[in-house]
Amino acid sequence: MKKKRYLRWDKQSATTVLYPVIFGILLLILWQTQLLHKLLGADTFALPLPGRILRIIFDNGPTIIENIKATVMVAVGGLFFGSILGYLLGIIATVFPKWGAGGLSIASAISAVPIIAIAPILNNLTKDFSDVANVRSMFAKTIVVTITCTAAMSINAYRGLNELKPYSLDLMKSYAASKLTVFLKLRIPNSVPYIFVALRVSVPASIISALVSEYFAEFIIGVGRQIRENIVLAQYATAWAYIVVACAIGIIMYGILLAAEGALLKGRK
Amino acid sequence: MVNVVNFEEEFKERDASLPRETEIIIENLSVNFPDKDGGEPIVALSNVNLEIKQGEFISLLGPSGCGKTTLLRTIADLQEKSSGTISVRGLSPREIRLQKKYGIVFQSPVLYEWRSVRRNVCMPMELLGMPKKDRTKRVTKMLELVGLMEFGEKYPHELSGGMQQRVNIARALAIRPEILLMDEPFSALDEFTKEKLHEDLLRIWQRTNKTILFVTHNIQEAVFLSDRVVVLSPHPGRVSAIVDIDLPRPRPIQMKETQEFNALVSKVRNSFEGV
Amino acid sequence: MIQIKKILSSKYMVTLVWVLGLILIWELGATVIEGTKRSPENVLPHLHQILASVFTTNKVNGTQTAFQIVLSNGGITLLRAGIGFVIGAGLGFLLALIMNLFLPIEKILFPYLMMIQMIPILGMAPIVLAITKDINKSRIIIAAILTFYPVATNTLAGFKSVEKEKHELMYSLAASKFEIYRKLLIPSSLPYFFTGLKISAPMAITAAILVDTLQGGAGLGTVLSQSLKHATTIYIFWQIVFLSAIIGILSFYLMVLLEQAISPYKRKKKK
Repeated sequence: MKKKRYLRWDKQSATTVLYPVIFGILLLILWQTQLLHKLLGADTFALPLPGRILRIIFDNGPTIIENIKATVMVAVGGLFFGSILGYLLGIIATVFPKWGAGGLSIASAISAVPIIAIAPILNNLTKDFSDVANVRSMFAKTIVVTITCTAAMSINAYRGLNELKPYSLDLMKSYAASKLTVFLKLRIPNSVPYIFVALRVSVPASIISALVSEYFAEFIIGVGRQIRENIVLAQYATAWAYIVVACAIGIIMYGILLAAEGALLKGRK
Repeated sequence: MVNVVNFEEEFKERDASLPRETEIIIENLSVNFPDKDGGEPIVALSNVNLEIKQGEFISLLGPSGCGKTTLLRTIADLQEKSSGTISVRGLSPREIRLQKKYGIVFQSPVLYEWRSVRRNVCMPMELLGMPKKDRTKRVTKMLELVGLMEFGEKYPHELSGGMQQRVNIARALAIRPEILLMDEPFSALDEFTKEKLHEDLLRIWQRTNKTILFVTHNIQEAVFLSDRVVVLSPHPGRVSAIVDIDLPRPRPIQMKETQEFNALVSKVRNSFEGV
Repeated sequence: MIQIKKILSSKYMVTLVWVLGLILIWELGATVIEGTKRSPENVLPHLHQILASVFTTNKVNGTQTAFQIVLSNGGITLLRAGIGFVIGAGLGFLLALIMNLFLPIEKILFPYLMMIQMIPILGMAPIVLAITKDINKSRIIIAAILTFYPVATNTLAGFKSVEKEKHELMYSLAASKFEIYRKLLIPSSLPYFFTGLKISAPMAITAAILVDTLQGGAGLGTVLSQSLKHATTIYIFWQIVFLSAIIGILSFYLMVLLEQAISPYKRKKKK
C-alpha cells in the first residue's frame, strides 16, 4: 500500500524534476554554442567551452586528484576537529551556563571575522611546526578550517543541549537522575538534529575556508591554490577545470551530509 | 459600500416583536475530500439541510471528524462543495466573500505580529479602501466593544491569549459584516478566560445583532451561547439533531447551574449518533 | 556589596571577562614568541604595539601613516562591498518574490539555488576577475553573489512559512494578490530577509577583501598582501586583521539595528 504512493508519477513531481534538468541542459547548450559568451560579454579564453574543461579534467587526472586530496584532507580534517571542539565547548557552556553562554556570544562574534584575517596569522604562527613546507602548510590550513567550524558547532550544540522539550527535564528530575544521566539520556540525544544544522553551515564553510587558506599557504597545493595559480599564468581553461572540481567537492560533501542526516534522523520529527 | 461609522444604525436594539428573516439556506449539501492514495473519496458532509435566521446564534457541535468545521468553511467559501446549494441572502458563498459580507474568527488568533493591535483591527478596512478618518473612528469603537481600549498600541505578543482572541473578534467585526463565522475560537483558552469571553461575546452579539455561526466541541459552551445547537455526527458527517435552546436572555454565568440548563445539556448529549 | 555582586554577575560582565581572557591569552602568546623568535612582530606582536602603530605619526610611504593607508584603502573596499551587498540583497529579494509568484520558475531555479549554497563561490573569485577584467566590478559581483543566495533562500522560506490561516483570512476578505503580498507576505517575510542579510553582510566584506588580494590597485586586501610580503610595515597587516574583524562584527550588528528600526515589534520582543 505504502509503495504505491512512491511510484505514482503525477504531473507535479514530473515537472519538479524535468524543469531544472531542461534548464541546465539549455544553459550548457548556450555555453557550448558561445551564446552565453555574447550575453556576458566574455570570450572563450576567460570562459572556455564545457567540452574543453572536461577534456582538461580527464587529461590531468593524477595532478587533479593530488590537489583534491590536499583540499579534502584540510576541509574534512578541519571539519572533524572543529566540530568536536565546538561540541565540547557546547557541553562546557551547558555545564557552566552563566560563563559558557557569554563565551558563546564571543564565539558567534568571532564567526563574523573574515577568514582572510585568520589565514595569514596562522601561516606565520605555524612556521616552526615542521621542517617540511607541505606539512606545516597543511597544519596551518587545517587550523583555519577548524576555527571556522568550531563557531558554528558550539552555538548549535549549546542550543541542542539546552532547548529541551517541555517537561523532559522535569521528568528526568522526577527519576532523581544525575547530571551525567541527564546528559547521556536527554541532552545529547536531543542535540543530534542541531549537530546537523551546524554541519549544514560548516560543511560548505569548511571547503570555502580550505580554498581560501590555500591562497595564503606557503606550500603550493590544493584546488583553491590551483585556481589562483592558473589564472596568474593566464591558463583559464585549467583554472575552470579546478573550479568545476571545487564545485563537485562541495556538492558531493553536502550530498554525503544529507544522506547521513536522512539515515540518522529517520523517525524523528 | 457599507457605512462602517454609522454606529447608531449598527448598534440599535432589535425589535423583538418583528419576525426574523431567513438569512442562510443550506440544501442537500455534501462535501467530499479526494483520497490522497487515489482511493474512494472521503465523505466529510453528507446531505446537510439547515436554515438560519438573521440575528440567530447557531452552534455547530460535534466530535472531531463530524464535518462541523467543514460546514463553516464551505459557507465561508474556503472549501468547495461537492453537491447541494448554499444561499446567503440569495447569494452564493463566493459572492458574499467577494462582497466582504462575513467576518471570520479562527481558533488561533492569526494576528499580524508586526502590526499593533489598532493596525491589526484596521487591516480589513484597508482592504476595503476606507478613508483613514473612518478607519480610525471604527477601530476605536471596535476596541471599546471588545474591551481593549487601553491596548491599542500594544503588539500581539504582549497580549494574553484571551486578549488576542478579542482583537481577533474586533478585526472580524471591523468591516461591519452581516455574519460572524467562528471556528472553535475559545477552545485553546483556559476556563476562566473562556467564561469571560462567553459573556462578552453574548453582549457584543446582542449589541450588534449579527448572525453568528459558532463551531465548538464543547456541549456546555454550545448550550450556553446559542439559540439553536446543530448536532453533527461523524462517519459520514451529517446533522443528527437540531436542539432549540429556549433559555431566557440575557444569560448570566449562574445559569449554568440551573436544572433547565443541565436538562438541555443532557438532551444535546443524547442526540449524538455513532460516537 | 550586593550592588557590586549584581554588576559582577551581569551579562556584560561575563562578556567583558571573556574579552579580557582572550586578550590575556594573546599577550601570553606574544610574550612567549617575543623570547623565541627573531622578528616577533611577524608572528604575534603585543597588542600595545599594534595599538601604538595605529596612533603613530610616522609616515610609512612618504605621505600617509600606516593607519591612514589602512583607512583609505578600507574605505575603497567597504564601498565596493556595500554596493555589491545592496545589489545582491535587492536581487535576492526580487528572485524570492518571482519564485513565489510563478511556480514553474520556482521549480526551475530552486535546485540551483540549493546548489549555490554548496559551491565555494569565493574560490571562483579569480575567474570573475578574469571575465570582467576589472577589479572594481569583480569586487561588486562577488559580494553581490555571496549576498544574493542567502537572502533569496531565506526570503523564500519566509514566504513559505506564512500560516495557512493568515492566507485564509486574506482570502475570506477577497484580498487581491497585490494586497496579499503588501499586507501579509512581505511584512511576514522581513525577519527571514534580515536573517539572510545577517548571514551575508560579513561574507560580502570577506569577499571584497579577498578579491583585493588578487590584483594590485587599491583596497584592504591589496595592502594586506603587500604588508605580508614586507613591501611595507607588517603592522598594516595587523591593523587590517583587527579592522576587518571589527567591520565584520559591526556589519552583523548593523543589520540587527536596521531590522529593529524597520520592525518596531522586534524591539519590544527583546526585553
